[in-house]
Amino acid sequence: MTTRLAPKDAHRTMRELRLAHAGRRKPPQKTLDNPLRDGLRLERMPDPCVVVVFGGTGDLSARKVVPALYQLWRTNLLPHEFVVLALGRRDQDDEGFRTEIRAGLERFSRVLPLDEAVASSFIDRILYQRLDFDDAGAFDALAARLTAIDHDQATGGNRLYYLATQPSAFSEIVAQLGRVGLDHETHGGGWRRIVIEKPFGHDLESARRLNRDVGKVFRESQIYRIDHYLGKETVRNLLVFRFGNGIFEPIWNRRHIDHVQITVAESIGVEGRGAFYEETGASRDFLQNHLLQLLSLVAMEPPATFDANALRDEKVKVLRAIQDVTPEAVRHDVVRGQYGPGWVGGAPVPGYREEAKVDPLSETETFVAARLVIDDWRWSGVPFYVRVGKRLPKRSTEIAIQFKEVPHRLFVESSSDPEPNLLAIRIQPDEGIMLRFGAKIPGLGIDVRSVTMDFTYGSAFAVDSPDAYETLILDALLGDASLFTRADEVETAWGIVDPIITAWADDGPPDFPNYEAGTWGPAAADDLLARDGRRWRRI
Amino acid sequence: MTVGATGGAAAPTLRWRSRARTIEGIEQELARIWSQPDLTTTVDGSPGRHVAARTSVMNLVVVARRPEIAERCAATIQALTGRHPSRTLIVSPADPDGPSWLDAHIQAHCVLPREDAPEVCAETIFLSCGGESGRHLGAIIAPLLIHDLPVTVWWPGDPPFGSPAAHELLGMADRLVVDGSSWSESGLARLGSLARLLADQRLSIFDIALVRQARWREAIASVFDMPAFLPYLRSLRRIAVTYATHDETGDPTATNIVKPVYHVAWLASRLDLSVVRPLEAVPPPKRQPGPRGFAATLRDGRSQVAVVVRPVTSPMPGGTTLRVELLAERRGSELRADVTAEAETVRVHVWQDGVQALDRAFQAPRRTDVDLLAEAIEAGGADPVGHDALRAAGALVGSAATR
Repeated sequence: MTTRLAPKDAHRTMRELRLAHAGRRKPPQKTLDNPLRDGLRLERMPDPCVVVVFGGTGDLSARKVVPALYQLWRTNLLPHEFVVLALGRRDQDDEGFRTEIRAGLERFSRVLPLDEAVASSFIDRILYQRLDFDDAGAFDALAARLTAIDHDQATGGNRLYYLATQPSAFSEIVAQLGRVGLDHETHGGGWRRIVIEKPFGHDLESARRLNRDVGKVFRESQIYRIDHYLGKETVRNLLVFRFGNGIFEPIWNRRHIDHVQITVAESIGVEGRGAFYEETGASRDFLQNHLLQLLSLVAMEPPATFDANALRDEKVKVLRAIQDVTPEAVRHDVVRGQYGPGWVGGAPVPGYREEAKVDPLSETETFVAARLVIDDWRWSGVPFYVRVGKRLPKRSTEIAIQFKEVPHRLFVESSSDPEPNLLAIRIQPDEGIMLRFGAKIPGLGIDVRSVTMDFTYGSAFAVDSPDAYETLILDALLGDASLFTRADEVETAWGIVDPIITAWADDGPPDFPNYEAGTWGPAAADDLLARDGRRWRRI
Repeated sequence: MTVGATGGAAAPTLRWRSRARTIEGIEQELARIWSQPDLTTTVDGSPGRHVAARTSVMNLVVVARRPEIAERCAATIQALTGRHPSRTLIVSPADPDGPSWLDAHIQAHCVLPREDAPEVCAETIFLSCGGESGRHLGAIIAPLLIHDLPVTVWWPGDPPFGSPAAHELLGMADRLVVDGSSWSESGLARLGSLARLLADQRLSIFDIALVRQARWREAIASVFDMPAFLPYLRSLRRIAVTYATHDETGDPTATNIVKPVYHVAWLASRLDLSVVRPLEAVPPPKRQPGPRGFAATLRDGRSQVAVVVRPVTSPMPGGTTLRVELLAERRGSELRADVTAEAETVRVHVWQDGVQALDRAFQAPRRTDVDLLAEAIEAGGADPVGHDALRAAGALVGSAATR
């Protein structure tokens, strides 16, 4: 497993602490609290700032980043002194780019139609600059432009760099930012933060290299690695559900829980992203990040405080406690699959190898199921079954906590055995929580049947939840890194997925396609549970 | 009886209405709503697709002493049906000296949150009562509450705090929502009475007048987020709040000043300032009649903090805060913060030793009644900061409360 990386600016060892106390190293800055901040009911307003979007003309920017910023602006969660500087390779002026932005918002904004006055005031704050990532002179021009913006717009030198580009450009952009000094946080000169989109590398080695490259320029506390799954309302609610309710945590352990199932099912295929998916596959695209993030939130110990490092420390502990995935374990406990032609939602769909920009002999997996074991006090002996796949019968992300059976069957005369209790946390769609328990069927005898108590978010809180990008961008602007992944978290997750990919590469060509589109994956995925006397929950 | 099921997504649709003249009759009608197949199985000709879900997150009791207030409150609550489905009782007591009577209109409104979601339905009971019945609101309301759900009392207008009816009603409430800025006269007497209700530690109090000022508090707090300015916060010497008035006679009770007082009270409570001299009307000079406002003195350790709440004739609604000024002196250095309202923004200026050190604007669009009520309702449990501010307001009002 990987070595845990401490943030650069924290005293992690006794020696560091002793040196700090002896005055031989600068102790961490003690911040005074502003008593007027106590209990302010509003979301805290970010400081005046410039959001610098690398890849500002790209798809991610148009679909997610700009609409999220617009929504934050629309709901008065951004400061008045706020500017977006979009960077792209095309040569165009601010006005031309604003026309594009308006068209993008009219297509991708979460709330339509646009509020004309609000949209205009937002779009007026968007500027454009041409920048080739490999043109060093362009970064000098960028530094000059940012200085001018700070002067003209009173943005205070605060900058959020958002890397919405191809991952291959990350290291070069960061190096150039460092070269022209755009990473420096000076006293009174404003903060500098950088948001990096996933994927964070394509294996452990590349993730380490990327972390090293970024770490040469930015401190860990300045880096925000975004995994949008963590910004989803129901994922965040998982923490509230576990640690804000007294009745679940006492039974959240090996004594009461039989096993856990985590499913991330998609009914769609690769949707024109064949070239991208050929290089990633389900294990890199979902298992390494979203699935392991969900697993760590389900399995983590309660953090002592709700601050970014305490939360992430506990998540990393879980990942580090996952039993080593040896080649033998991969053969026994991991199943891969690729969909062939089939029917989804009443329509015929092609197989993966027939998708555009996909190798007709592709060995890329579109489905992964695994049995993971967490070697710690709480979870010893409790298997975590995880699965993710494309072209499954329906779109659904769910965590199912299967409790143990009652120790003694009292109702022997019942025509059916009561099923064990089950708690299902639906992440998407139809967000909610369901608890299954046994109840007596009305009548003279004692027949027991399972019934459910179903809580649906939509009926208790019929309000729109913010999009994950809105939540995460606002957090980054406020300097709250709780929902972002830390360097050691990324590397530890790669330390789990890398051996799987390596073992597959050594095992020779798979028997693909091995599941029909519109089914729940290959038969081997069912066998994975069947041999433990269990089965996947029907979703 | 059931009513036509039309209406688009998120638009509340009236799905049921009936009438009763006794408490038992109302209870029967409420039970009957949910046994109606027309209400619970089909919507818009899509059988079995959008099964209505009866949902309640609380009991909401509204005391509306006039029909127009009841109608306005009902419209606000209907807009909240999807957001906070509640059993709502809108109670209008009338003619206390006449014979006892009771008349209830029962309605169910449903909202389709999303196309693929079940409808969410909630009940509203418009309850008018007269004579002896109207004097015992608690006895009427108690049997109509859904068990185990929190009870929020929204009391628009001038609530008669301290009266037996208020005592009886608030005794069964978990939360009280009022709007101090709508109270008659200066509002100070009622503000003092509201603060005294804090003695009942079960009751959470939300004053919409205080909720409405959130953006001002954000703007003021932001000044002291700057490390260079934070130390001045412990060396305040003067707090001045300017408010709009239409009065030119100098009558201190002519304009409601609950909102300006809350600014001072919030600062006093966050900074642990004690009241040395409560608010008193400043008498106008003999030759210059006109509004002069109020003054008070606070104490911060060994230093005193002067408080001025002063009116300015303005076309803005009476009692609207126009400016909050803070003056601090520390080790021979002076910090002046000036927070002003401009159209849809709140602007902050800070001068350090006479040199402008900050100029920042915060967006502050006027918020709707629905948003404000929703925020008052959404806050789970008590709001300790709001309670602290209200307690400080009670101390600031002091003898003014008796006027």
